[in-house]
Amino acid sequence: MTDSLGRRQLLAAALGGATAAVASAVAAGPAVDHAAVPAWDRVVDVLVVGGGAAGVCAAIEARAAGASVILLESMPHAGGSSAVSGGVIFAGGGTFMQRALGVSDTPDAMYDAVAGSGAPGLPLERLRLYCEQSATHLAWLRTLGVPYADTPQLGTSLLAGSLQPAVPRCHRPQAPEGLAGQRLMQALLARARRDSVLLLTGVSAQRLVVNAAGRVTGVQTLSGTRGGYTSVRRAVVLSCGGFIQQRDMVRQFAPQLYDCATPWGVAGELGLGVRLGMSAGGAALRMAEGFSSIDLSAQGNAPSGLLVNAAGQRFIAEDAYAGAIGHAVTYRQDGRAWLITDAASNLPEGQQDYPRLAEAVSIGELSEHLGLPRGALQQSVAYYNRYAARGEDPQFGKSRTYTRPFQGPPYRAWAVSGPRAFFPAYTLGGLATDLDGAVLDAFGEPVTGLCAAGRTAAGLPTAAAGTEGLSLADATFFGRRAGRRAATELPG
Amino acid sequence: MTLLLRFTCLLLVLLPPTVQADEVDNRLALADTDRGRVLFGACRLCHEVGENAAHRVGPSLQRIFGRVVGSQADFPAYSPGFVAADFVWTPKLMYAWLEAPLAKFPESTMLAPGISDPQDRADLIAYLMRASAGER
Repeated sequence: MTDSLGRRQLLAAALGGATAAVASAVAAGPAVDHAAVPAWDRVVDVLVVGGGAAGVCAAIEARAAGASVILLESMPHAGGSSAVSGGVIFAGGGTFMQRALGVSDTPDAMYDAVAGSGAPGLPLERLRLYCEQSATHLAWLRTLGVPYADTPQLGTSLLAGSLQPAVPRCHRPQAPEGLAGQRLMQALLARARRDSVLLLTGVSAQRLVVNAAGRVTGVQTLSGTRGGYTSVRRAVVLSCGGFIQQRDMVRQFAPQLYDCATPWGVAGELGLGVRLGMSAGGAALRMAEGFSSIDLSAQGNAPSGLLVNAAGQRFIAEDAYAGAIGHAVTYRQDGRAWLITDAASNLPEGQQDYPRLAEAVSIGELSEHLGLPRGALQQSVAYYNRYAARGEDPQFGKSRTYTRPFQGPPYRAWAVSGPRAFFPAYTLGGLATDLDGAVLDAFGEPVTGLCAAGRTAAGLPTAAAGTEGLSLADATFFGRRAGRRAATELPG
Repeated sequence: MTLLLRFTCLLLVLLPPTVQADEVDNRLALADTDRGRVLFGACRLCHEVGENAAHRVGPSLQRIFGRVVGSQADFPAYSPGFVAADFVWTPKLMYAWLEAPLAKFPESTMLAPGISDPQDRADLIAYLMRASAGER
């Protein structure tokens, strides 16, 4: 079968085709009445739906609390988007790494740093709890086998985030470039296996089973073409990610993110967890929120250019965190923004992120190409230059490194958003939960027998409070709490 | 042996006679490589392409076409089926594979949703052919 002739023979032999789509007898949908379940295939104390960071942490803690645990993974391999992430966890208040490196931090300082960002809708109680316990949490991850360096180094193991960079709080496992998320998940999954969590890959949850009292009592599963029912004695934990790969849901719930051209997540981020939770009466919060990224700092001198909106005005420091710029463009500028560069801030040759829209020898001409209001861009540049000569940006506080007068053709305009830019985005909205991960209904009451964590729940990260490592912090920390809660739910 | 059998099945699935070379060639001839660049954005979650491309969660795609499937010795995370295979990536093979990677070879470690629209797929491959060519 190896040479090209062999391949051709195979091709010729392929008559009859094996491509027929698998017609499924079981489709995701509304909850099933407990009384209508024909037969149960399995019984378990806690069923965790989704094998990313939140689900695996939930499974480990539920096992530790004495429950029998099945972990369903719809994909052929567990790990989810966590396994392809940067693996960074935001933690502080004196973590083992901070202490080893002489970084002084307290839970209060950490809380103030995040809460002080002034982001609307920040879940402050959740934030407070995490700040108080994040150092202990990180130590727990280390005892589980997550490969944190024995002799950590600033800038490699412990990174300064964009939020209060003087106090580094972004913790990264040891791994080759790009594989830190994978190493984190490998460690967590190995621990789950050792603890006898039963991992079933290629099996998805299609419907929740709910009894007459409204309690979740099981799950209808699908494995290939085979449907089945798992009876759950204590609780189901929904932890199957957000919904960025379900384009209809994105359009429906998070229309601003629909315009971001680059869905950022693995194929499993289909919003099933959110919909299953809603099907049992769970409320969904902050569904329009998401993370979107415009990373000018990866483009050489680009941050010394000017980012302007449809009114020809600046609206954020060009050297801000990629997520902060993404948020400002997506949610505050209706997705419309352009980077204007001069000779010294021109984007690197061959960059693949942002298409060039126009080039001109004067700012007025460039403005005309973009169709900006007459004179507006010129006024923005003039105002910027007035202070930039002194290295100051009184409007947005851009750092001195990137603040200098904007002058010298060619002037160019680049699309940093819209359908042709590299514009990664994922969702942050999800099910309402209490601090223990119990799913809450529209009146704030727990849905009995149902927990949620990770991006399936509306957690710590909110659109405006972006900092590196908050998603994995939320997934691992509140995933653990959801697992403990699920294991202690009274049997139904 | 099981792996070889499975991989044979993969080939059968990937290259049904209904996918004619003409179709792929025609679509590649019409391809919008800039649209392909945008579509490749989602692949950048795990892959790099271009002069300085490195292995990330997925292997570097530099000079991918003409390379034997699963053959970059310094990439550790191929699925066993890809390691066992020894035919080369062609635009046509990739066109078939990317329609629904997980449905066509569930054991793949690539957890991508695939690109169902045929012209989108051709746009992506046309971009990849250009971006991965690289000067030696």
